Amino acid sequence: MSAIAAPAPEEQYSLPTGYGDTRIVLMVKDPWWLYAYWEVQPQVERTVRHQLTPEEVIGLQTVLRVYDVTEVAFPDHPAHRWFDIPFSGLAMNWYIHTNAPNRSFIVDVGLLTRGGRFLRLARSNRVTTPRVGPSEVIDEAWAIDDETFWRLFGAAAVGTSSSPSSWTFAPSSVHTWLPSGTAAARPALVQGFWCRVNTDLVIHGVTEPRATVSIQGRPVPLRPDGTFTIRLAIPDGVQTLTIDVTSADGTTTRTITPTVTLAWSGTLEPERPAKPFRPSGKPADRPSSGGAA
Amino acid sequence: MEPRGLLALVLHTHLPFVRHPEHPSFLEERWLFEAITETYLPLLERFHRLADERVPFRVTMSFTPPLLAMLADGLLQARYLRHLEQLIELSAKEIERTRWQPPFHRLALFYHHRFTTAHRLYVEGYRRDLIGAFRRLSERGVLEPIASCATHGYLPLMETQPAAVRAQIRIGVAAFEHAFGRPPAGFWLPECGYQPGHDAVLKDCGIRYFLTDTHGILFGSPRPKYGVYAPAICPSGVAAFGRDMESSKSVWSAEEGYPGDFEYREFYRDIGFDLDYDYVRPYLNGDGARLSTGMKYYRITGRTSDKQPYDPDRALEKAAEHAANFLFNRSQQAEHLSSALGRAPIIVSPYDAELFGHWWFEGPDWLELVIRRAHADQPDVRLISPADYFERYPTNQVLQPSLSSWGNGGYSDVWLNGTNDWLYRHLHKMAERMTDSARAHPQPDPLRKRLLNQMARELLLAQSSDWAFILKTQTHTAYAYRRIHDHLARFSALEEAVQRGCVDEGWVAGVEEKDNSFPFLDYRVYAG
Repeated sequence: MSAIAAPAPEEQYSLPTGYGDTRIVLMVKDPWWLYAYWEVQPQVERTVRHQLTPEEVIGLQTVLRVYDVTEVAFPDHPAHRWFDIPFSGLAMNWYIHTNAPNRSFIVDVGLLTRGGRFLRLARSNRVTTPRVGPSEVIDEAWAIDDETFWRLFGAAAVGTSSSPSSWTFAPSSVHTWLPSGTAAARPALVQGFWCRVNTDLVIHGVTEPRATVSIQGRPVPLRPDGTFTIRLAIPDGVQTLTIDVTSADGTTTRTITPTVTLAWSGTLEPERPAKPFRPSGKPADRPSSGGAA
Repeated sequence: MEPRGLLALVLHTHLPFVRHPEHPSFLEERWLFEAITETYLPLLERFHRLADERVPFRVTMSFTPPLLAMLADGLLQARYLRHLEQLIELSAKEIERTRWQPPFHRLALFYHHRFTTAHRLYVEGYRRDLIGAFRRLSERGVLEPIASCATHGYLPLMETQPAAVRAQIRIGVAAFEHAFGRPPAGFWLPECGYQPGHDAVLKDCGIRYFLTDTHGILFGSPRPKYGVYAPAICPSGVAAFGRDMESSKSVWSAEEGYPGDFEYREFYRDIGFDLDYDYVRPYLNGDGARLSTGMKYYRITGRTSDKQPYDPDRALEKAAEHAANFLFNRSQQAEHLSSALGRAPIIVSPYDAELFGHWWFEGPDWLELVIRRAHADQPDVRLISPADYFERYPTNQVLQPSLSSWGNGGYSDVWLNGTNDWLYRHLHKMAERMTDSARAHPQPDPLRKRLLNQMARELLLAQSSDWAFILKTQTHTAYAYRRIHDHLARFSALEEAVQRGCVDEGWVAGVEEKDNSFPFLDYRVYAG
């Protein structure tokens, strides 16, 4: 890092609301919907407003004009049809419901007078929505009749109507690497109450750092300071542990055998929820209002 | 015997580029670590074993450049080993703790074995070089690796910036060649996002085929005679293979598919959430929030929160059953289609690779069993890679596939909605500025060349479709927002520096160290 303590560009930066352009960009969301974002500089709008008569300024409306330009060399040739979407002057983007698969569109952002005069501020790129349903065009060398096409492939193309709501796909495989353990990624609990109570026993101690310790005949690692800790999940009933501590030279061993009793009392079954509650069958997992080591 | 049907299993691997040398450990880097332990190592181990046993098979896998860059990165390799060593330590403690609970004790041993095996494979088996391990599979003829976009940019929403589309594809191909030492035959369009016309860009890069979703082909024009069961040749001459819905669904769908079986491991129960906080705290990230460790003790059990302990043996039996069922269904499907179509259908089944092992824990076992059975018992369905198809059927129908993706709804809704639409105003502007800068500096001085290359890296990293997706799913949104913000900030500062011809050397070196993907990148790809 630089010796001069100027803040890094990342700390100073904030996303701009615009870039000083006058433009509108059109995108395809799906066969029925487009999305447009735009920005118009005030001086551009002022210039356009100069073309208005004083009467026209009253009731002036900002609009998106959506042209259907399918297979038309627009604007040299007129659009098939168009419609206007009035919006508040503050809007900078819009979802446009064309409900028209397999058609091409261009959108103008502009000003509309009460008298119906439209003044363009910016014109978008051209987009084409995808077809929904099989093409009507048949290549004779690769012909397939309607009946065979639907019989063989129909299952994957079911629901091909012109409405987005009825066009639902089989579960798609899109996901991203959902972070492990994000709360939002965990499913909501199914109806009903559940709980778990587990009992872990912690055995800890300290000896000379070079001594050896074993519990139930298995070695336990010592920390450099000679302390050790072991955690055991314990089942119901009486358990006897054998802890052996042997001196570094191996000549002296001490054996300790603590006995631990785990007994449960209290009601296993909580108030019966809508769904029958079953203990999971593992003693240590048994729900209980009491129970101690 | 001539097979009645051809089955192309395609696994798409991708992770966003997440690498934060500025932090000692970073939560999102775990995405890579988990994928290595749960998906990449299990797949590599099984594929190499099958090849050693001379089981003939073909599997296709796409690799995105961010993943390739992370797998090859020394810092992340070292951090992965540290992560794995922590898991080994935790599983060893679990072996002790569960001594009196046989079902859990067995699982603790099971995980300990898995983690130590992963460690041995990673260090001794593959010498940290997983790309090399995949490359050897390709040299052995069992794996067909294919390329993908530079940073998994979703191309249909980049349509107004053709230079950006071209750069995503070209740099993706360059990264592939860098990793595999040969040009790719196939290409995975991120999210199967196909926009008519992009096939011509693929063609320019020497690509022979790509994959689309079902309706991309079915709704193509003229009407496809063979549906998705033969490739469509685009106007550019590049082939498009469409996804088979039936086989996809049986593996993917959580409700109807195999992964939802009650015997399989439950993804959402993990000791990182279930055990005593102080006990698991050393294995959590810096902020101490509970997270998944990868040690999961329960099976799906049913639609209940009262989960039963996982039994790996029973799960494996299920995987074998499901593998047999999958091939039986493909065989039936192939018989039905081949008699109706008059040629052997190619059934293309693409999946996210991370589904296998990470989400569907038994997925790699299932896949191995499918491969074994396809060889041993099912001579009428043969595994191939899409490219192999042309040797059998060189002549195919020419048609224009339709705009499509495999995202929910089949189009661009996932990456363009109220949660993430604001992104495109900035991404498009960055792409435009990058193009302008590239054209303005055809013969740069060394400093400007370096700055322009880093600008291109920042643009590419911001274009990753993962950010839009994360904003949509509302998990880790702060991270996604931060990434977009930082890449835009760096891009702008670099652009200014290019104009001025001078820069804070310490800052730019830091940026290059952080966002260090694509060392081979040449920004002039944007000049067209």
